[in-house]
Amino acid sequence: MKMRFWQKTYILTLTLFLACLYTGLFVLAYYTYERSSENTKNACVAEQSYIVMSFERDYEDITDSYSPSILMQSYVAHYGARGILLAFFEDGSAVCSGFKNTIVQENSGIVKTLRIDGEKYVVIHGTAADKYGFVYARYAGDLDDEFRSLIITYALVAAGVSVLLAVILLFILKKLSLPLEKLKSTTETIAGGDMTVAADETGNDEFSALAKSFNKMVGKVRCQMNELADDAHLKQRLVDNMAHEMRTPLTSIRGYAEYIEKAAVPDEEKNDAAGRIVTETDRLRKISEKILDTAFLRETAIERKKVDLCEVLQDTSEKLSQKAKARGITITVNAADSVVEGDVTLLSMLFCNLVENAIKACADGGNITLSYSGQTACVADDGKGMTPEQLTHITEPFYRTDKSRSRVEGGAGLGLALCSQIADSHSAKLRFESEVGKGTKVFIDFTTSQQL
Amino acid sequence: MAKLLIAEDEEQINDLVKKNLCLVGHECTQVFDGGAALDAALTEHFDLLILDVMLPGMSGFEVIKQLGDTPVIFVTAKNALSDRIKGLRLGADDYIVKPFEILELVERVDAVLRRTKSTAHSFEFSGVTVDLDGKRVYRDGSEVILTPKEFALLEAFITNRNLALSRDRLIYLVWTYDFDGDNRTVDIHVQRLRRKLGIESVLKTVYKTGYRLEV
Repeated sequence: MKMRFWQKTYILTLTLFLACLYTGLFVLAYYTYERSSENTKNACVAEQSYIVMSFERDYEDITDSYSPSILMQSYVAHYGARGILLAFFEDGSAVCSGFKNTIVQENSGIVKTLRIDGEKYVVIHGTAADKYGFVYARYAGDLDDEFRSLIITYALVAAGVSVLLAVILLFILKKLSLPLEKLKSTTETIAGGDMTVAADETGNDEFSALAKSFNKMVGKVRCQMNELADDAHLKQRLVDNMAHEMRTPLTSIRGYAEYIEKAAVPDEEKNDAAGRIVTETDRLRKISEKILDTAFLRETAIERKKVDLCEVLQDTSEKLSQKAKARGITITVNAADSVVEGDVTLLSMLFCNLVENAIKACADGGNITLSYSGQTACVADDGKGMTPEQLTHITEPFYRTDKSRSRVEGGAGLGLALCSQIADSHSAKLRFESEVGKGTKVFIDFTTSQQL
Repeated sequence: MAKLLIAEDEEQINDLVKKNLCLVGHECTQVFDGGAALDAALTEHFDLLILDVMLPGMSGFEVIKQLGDTPVIFVTAKNALSDRIKGLRLGADDYIVKPFEILELVERVDAVLRRTKSTAHSFEFSGVTVDLDGKRVYRDGSEVILTPKEFALLEAFITNRNLALSRDRLIYLVWTYDFDGDNRTVDIHVQRLRRKLGIESVLKTVYKTGYRLEV
């Protein structure tokens, strides 16, 4: 049988209480009864000795003409009328008796209760005037009646108290266990998948403490679930983006190959289609190389040597100056001699990527500045800038702030993901500052503790 | 044959779609983002809109919401069922998933146009007039009787004109499921069609590929 906690408590408490109550009442009643029967006995003993005394006095006073048996008879009759049975014995046989049945004389001084004709009597055996046995009996049935009515009263009172207690206890326990019930229904709701509910924390007892720690736990779990969901979401977006990036050139390649195979078109058209296949294949190759680069960087520790960063910046500027000049963009390098630990190839890849991005962002005739000071390198442009929303996504692989445009410019959408990988492997941090219309600054903070 | 609007931000794919649909006789206009697609579709009448879902500026889903009753085929890189259902629920007539086959695109465009375009359906080439609705063929004015399979074959060639059709593809298009012959069956039917209509010079054999109707 399954019982709730409050039901168990209820039954246990009630049983215990009732047991105590009834035992207590019974003991009390019994004690009272004992006391009153003792009192009755004492009263009987006193009365008996009084009767004996007055009999002895009368016995001394009697004259020869007056037989002792007459005196005895008058005593028996006198007390018999008042409910007291007397019997006188001489040499062991009854001389005169108020008892209906025969009664046997016993040793003097014996006090006991006896049932005579079904009624209760206190019987005292004794002697009177030295030579007569004397038995005294007094009706004591009223004591039993009293005891019985006392028990009945007690039982009634106890029953009333029990019912009252049962109701009150039920009410109190229900009320006390209410927070537990509430907590239970809350946990059930949460188990059902609704994480938005919270347990009631009001009050200052163990239950509210439990509710508090429960809410804390739910909060933690919810937090972690959200994190996991975000993580899964990010990964899904990555896979989606990658699939899209791969599928687009694949569609073109397949389509143009099919076109060459099937279409009735002049040779120039076919040549054009073949050219497009080459372009798209290059694009696919670029994407796969970048993916491999990022994977490689993630898996391998780099070899660190002393690198003159100033030189790297100069090289980068020279390498890309042609591309920049074509759009009238000026690249300025502004760095003193500075040495960091790292891989020169990777570092120049990092700066090339950043400067290429800067060139893409710049309007014709814009400015790009490369600088290094106090452990921080900076690539700044005065191009179109990005919104804060875009900034949060730019290091995700395949994220494009403006997809149609950057693809025309030949990006694979992996540049900044690669950059942040390179920065990571140098224990450096990539940091962006950008304002729409004003330009973007990319900082690379080389952390001192890991460098040199 | 029909006026089409192609909205696709990938220039290469946009060109590819245009080239192929022009080959089979459609007139194509190209746009490269969502806003331009909506502008073009609202100012000019098009028989069909080929709409990429992931367009810059405005997604294909948003474009179709604001569009009138121009038929739409969605082009999507997403194979997700939810995307396809969303597209169809928004009123698209069909969808096609990248990477797609050119012949599949042509077939789907043709199917949607046949459903939605009410204008009379007939086609003329080298002295042959084909009434595609009445399923009758005239050579120099006099009717030529074709078997149903021969007519279906001719129809497949007209729909995919200037594109080579492999024998397998022809079997799929003409005989569909109840085919129990081999590639020779296709060859025999093509021979009969050439002889009956006198189109040996335009219904060409393409080496290692199949047959092509060049007009």
